[in-house]
Amino acid sequence: MSNPRVTGAIRYAQDVEFDGMLYASILRSPYPHARVLKVDASAVPKSVVVLTLDDIRELGSYGCQIKDQTVLAIERARFVGDPVAAVAAPTKREADEALDLIDVEYEPLPGVFDAVEAVAEGAPLVHEHHAISDNDAAYFGIRPQEGTNICHRFRIRHGNIDEGFEQADVVVEETYRTPSAQHVPMEPHASVARWVDDRLEVWTGTQTPFNLRMDLAGIFSIPESQIRVISPPMGGAFGAKTFVRTEAIAACLARKANRPVKIVLSRYEEWLTLNRHPATIQVKLGAQADGTLVAKRVVCWVDTGAYADCGPGVAQKMGYAAVGPYRIPHVWVDSHCIYTNLPPNGAYRGYGAMQAVWASERTMDLLAAKLGMDPLEIRLKNVLVDGDQFCTGEVMHDVHFIECLHDIAEKIGWAENKQGKGLCVLMKGMQTPSRASIVVEANEDGSYTVYCATAEMGQGAWLSIRKMAAELLGVEVEKVHYPEPDTDIIPYDTRTTSSRSTYMMGRALVEAVRDLKRKGEIGYGECVNTGGLDPDTGQGVASTHWHQGAAAAEVSVDEETGKFQVLKLHAAIYAGHVVNRPGAELQNEGSMIMGLGTTLFEQITFEEGQPTNANLSDYNIPAAGDLPESFTSELLEREGADVHGLGETALPPIPPAIGNALYSLGIHLTDLPLSAEAVLQAIDAREQAKGGRS
Amino acid sequence: MSRTVPQWLAPNSLEEALTLRAQYGDEATVVAGGTFIGIVMNQKIMQPQTLLSLRNVSELAFIEAGQDEGSPLRIGAMTTHRAVERSSLIRQHWPVLASTFALVASPRVRNQATVGGVLADADYASDPPTLLQALNATVLARSEKGEREIPVEQLITGYYETSLRPDELLVEVRIPRNRERAVYRKFRSRSSEDRPCVAVAAARVDGKLRVVVGAVAEKPQYFPDICALADGETTGNAQMLAAEIGRRYAEAIDPLSDSRGSAEYRKRIIAVEVRRALEEMLS
Repeated sequence: MSNPRVTGAIRYAQDVEFDGMLYASILRSPYPHARVLKVDASAVPKSVVVLTLDDIRELGSYGCQIKDQTVLAIERARFVGDPVAAVAAPTKREADEALDLIDVEYEPLPGVFDAVEAVAEGAPLVHEHHAISDNDAAYFGIRPQEGTNICHRFRIRHGNIDEGFEQADVVVEETYRTPSAQHVPMEPHASVARWVDDRLEVWTGTQTPFNLRMDLAGIFSIPESQIRVISPPMGGAFGAKTFVRTEAIAACLARKANRPVKIVLSRYEEWLTLNRHPATIQVKLGAQADGTLVAKRVVCWVDTGAYADCGPGVAQKMGYAAVGPYRIPHVWVDSHCIYTNLPPNGAYRGYGAMQAVWASERTMDLLAAKLGMDPLEIRLKNVLVDGDQFCTGEVMHDVHFIECLHDIAEKIGWAENKQGKGLCVLMKGMQTPSRASIVVEANEDGSYTVYCATAEMGQGAWLSIRKMAAELLGVEVEKVHYPEPDTDIIPYDTRTTSSRSTYMMGRALVEAVRDLKRKGEIGYGECVNTGGLDPDTGQGVASTHWHQGAAAAEVSVDEETGKFQVLKLHAAIYAGHVVNRPGAELQNEGSMIMGLGTTLFEQITFEEGQPTNANLSDYNIPAAGDLPESFTSELLEREGADVHGLGETALPPIPPAIGNALYSLGIHLTDLPLSAEAVLQAIDAREQAKGGRS
Repeated sequence: MSRTVPQWLAPNSLEEALTLRAQYGDEATVVAGGTFIGIVMNQKIMQPQTLLSLRNVSELAFIEAGQDEGSPLRIGAMTTHRAVERSSLIRQHWPVLASTFALVASPRVRNQATVGGVLADADYASDPPTLLQALNATVLARSEKGEREIPVEQLITGYYETSLRPDELLVEVRIPRNRERAVYRKFRSRSSEDRPCVAVAAARVDGKLRVVVGAVAEKPQYFPDICALADGETTGNAQMLAAEIGRRYAEAIDPLSDSRGSAEYRKRIIAVEVRRALEEMLS
């Protein structure tokens, strides 16, 4: 059967067409921080609909966790790219031309472009107040620090940190930095909005139709039931297509024009829409002489850019992910989500885990070296096993870190030789609390239809759910239909993020099919996971279901240039029970390739808040030629085990596995990406320390 | 500047193209494969009013070599990188040329990008100009008034600047037949599909060593006096000579900094890569 993604038959949001539809363009601030003094659109022809401050001043502000954003920047633009006006015209060209006719007067203000600087005394404030959102994505206790740029502070207090370090025979300390990155989905953000008798209808590639509906309802002060969000399949998302992106501007223009309006972002605008959080992470780790971990202190500075988006959630997950899958009696974590004048940062495959695992797992190797221990041994000695308590107080169950470690050690040939080789193990939480619900309906022709909010972004979720349904119903997968998610029809689901869908929706589906068998025509099922953490102590349930994995790398370094080859890369992911093997393998490979890009060269560069590589010529993403000769992954299964989410797990362990492989050669790097130039500097430092070459 | 779509001129013959070129001069931007102009237009670095496309000038897509010993290889300006890479004639007699064009970006780009385009763009970070200069190649520039042959060395004058006149079109590249070994080394600091951080081409033409370093300054860097160190040297101290020439090139060049590497880093890489190119050539 031909794949509609390959033949072009697939219909993305940008393919939605209506008669009389207009095309939108957005006028964006060229300044990273500026007062908007005047927006004069009087020169724009009457055939073009213009949205300016006066049109949106009365609308509600929005934000999935902090309500800090307005449809257009009111009074102040806070990043290069902040929308200050928008237009809709019969053609995209006319819309673009109209942008040139709008005269905006700015008064530039001092900006702040680094999270650590943004919390220093006297730093410019990006927002004066931090109003917590009523969106259900603000599900945990958010702790903004008024009068600062900190919009959330998450803490873990477990044991007694001072006592812990007193018990330590060896202590290592290091600071790590990871830069911003772009998701680069092949399909950019696109949405089409129209109003039908006071009802708003939006077609948009979104992973979060219900969160989007909540925020749109707040903006227009209408009930959620008056809004319909339809999510066609996407050409990649990776976290970028979450919450409100282009939809509010499209809806405002459509209302003013009284016609449907489409927005499709350019590649350049993708860099101004949502990126990955840059982070600075300080780690102090103590162990006894035999390698037993006793204390860990972590501070994270998480740069969320000009608007919080889901940054508070990312900072929180980064905070507990930085502890790692280890038994540590004394843990102290402070993680800060901080505003700067950079474009907003949000969900990015791994959701803070990559930054945290980089810092945590590099530190494990520093500790191993200081103790003179084998990096595998020190991990095996300390990883969580069933019945152990994590630093959040929750008791771990269904954990398989040891299996993952054994697999990667075997595949990389650890026992034979450790030179040029590195290991990493990680745990990653799943959205907790959350709720998934699904309806299964029997059709007259013997087929079934599932009504489900899980978004298809290329990850194969629809096929996995159809496969699970077909198995439960005892029919061929072709007999299970999956219409595109439409909030008028589908039951509630938290969102398609954090690798939760196959697991959560899969469980809801079991209930729905049971219900259907009982009732005959239609069945409903839901799955709820409960928990959460106290933001001030980090105690509670971080996750009801842990994503577990490990990776190993082998490198060869050109000592004269710093350029290195990744010869081997292997990841082992605990999958429990695989639903769709080809899909699961591709998820692993895709995660590993993204991890490789993050390791080797992905980095958004800014100069005083201006992005300087917002195109795919200056910003590199991995090409086929960048993959290692030996590039493999393992899905660990167990008889009778649960389905485990695996959409992101193989990304975060890649950078530390490679970083640790370099470290085995005496090349110590703390900042990503591991550019050839940085490697050469680290080689110089090693030689200098040896008293060798200067 | 207006965002209106530029006027598109698409002549069907070289004669017609030269007439339009004379008529429009610098008012029209010449487009060959469009891989360069497309990027700079998308980024709004350049917003030309008129584009003169050579796409339909099929007479400029050719690869020819005369039968006699002294005749050069002639490549038409509209020949794609992919065609150079795959030409059996080139693979047999100028293998370094085929392998160098094969290193440019990805097959999608190489199917589009042209030999004339990559020279006329004079982008400092392109691969082919460095090698072509080392091979002592020339280009043929034609106008309604006549034609002239320009060495690649004199064609590229600075960042995106050439010595082509506003009424001239670059129609052909001529590469002398070279029986000695030539080497091209592309040092990439990032992705395999990236542009070079440092490019080194080394060739012996008429008994003289020519080492050209690209992607490090506004135009390919060639120092005949440093290369002259190789004159009359026997292979006995070839290794020392290679290192010495590398060191001198690194000293002589004042490299730029960009996303692929800092000036300081490039200086070190130049020394290493020039040495390696010469070692490879002599091996």
